Amino acid sequence: MAQAEAFETDFWKDANLRKMWDDIVPGEPRKTIPYVLTQEAIALYCKSVGETHPLYFDEAYAKTTPYGGLIAPPSIHILLMFSCTPADDWMRSPGTVNAGQSWSYNIPARPNDTITLQARALDKFIKRERLFVVHDNVFFNQRGEVICSGRGWTIRPQ
Amino acid sequence: MTTTFEGLKAGDGIEGPSFAVSRESIRLFCDASLDYNPLHLDDNYMKGNFGKTNFGGIIMHGMNNFGLISRMITDWAYPAGAIHRRLETRWVKPVRPGDTIQPMGVIKSKQETAKSRWVLIDVLVRNQRGDKVATGEAMVEFPRPA
Repeated sequence: MAQAEAFETDFWKDANLRKMWDDIVPGEPRKTIPYVLTQEAIALYCKSVGETHPLYFDEAYAKTTPYGGLIAPPSIHILLMFSCTPADDWMRSPGTVNAGQSWSYNIPARPNDTITLQARALDKFIKRERLFVVHDNVFFNQRGEVICSGRGWTIRPQ
Repeated sequence: MTTTFEGLKAGDGIEGPSFAVSRESIRLFCDASLDYNPLHLDDNYMKGNFGKTNFGGIIMHGMNNFGLISRMITDWAYPAGAIHRRLETRWVKPVRPGDTIQPMGVIKSKQETAKSRWVLIDVLVRNQRGDKVATGEAMVEFPRPA
């Protein structure tokens, strides 16, 4: 899998470089990196959740739809969250538990889009002895158009 | 029968895809999402405690639930010319290898705004024992005919 080879899959490796709950400053932007979304990456994501709609695979079909060509499923932001952030991003800290997320969708991501991310922690709090961070994220395409925006609640490792 | 905004009413159901969770499906989701958190990979790590929680073994990514719900919504919306606009989810119970999960939706309400029409859908995911593992709400836009 080409994309996985270029990506550090051992999340322990840079664990000491990542911010702990105490260090995370709500409002401070996270470092992000542009990412070219390939058809191959879309296909692999689709396979992992059983997506089979021809809008994601069949260009001839997709051209006949209002979308005018191939698109990625809306939930492709699940991949983009990790592909647009560096290895020392705190979302990779081992033991990070996802408590919930909300996402709004504007326009679809498409194969060969160069995706950028603006992201930050928005809030942090303690509830029932658990350390929470709320993060917000906006993904853009190469024309600066918003693809989707989302907010997530994670429980941080202690 | 084609789904239309006019024809929908509160209580109408949407059935999502059944999904068999295995160590292989979780590993595939790691490769597809690039989320290699040891929660999803490392049995030894998962023997430990997470605050007050002990999962007892590797668990499926919460976002795998999210992807399945999203798939259900888009597969329902596309044939109607409708657009998946929002999904909010909370994880209620961990999902483990060997579980079979299935999302479903129930139309909660419809609303018209100045420029479009919207359907709110309560969503949930159950495992093979009928336990809720995820709950949430989706919003689908039904643009007015031109």
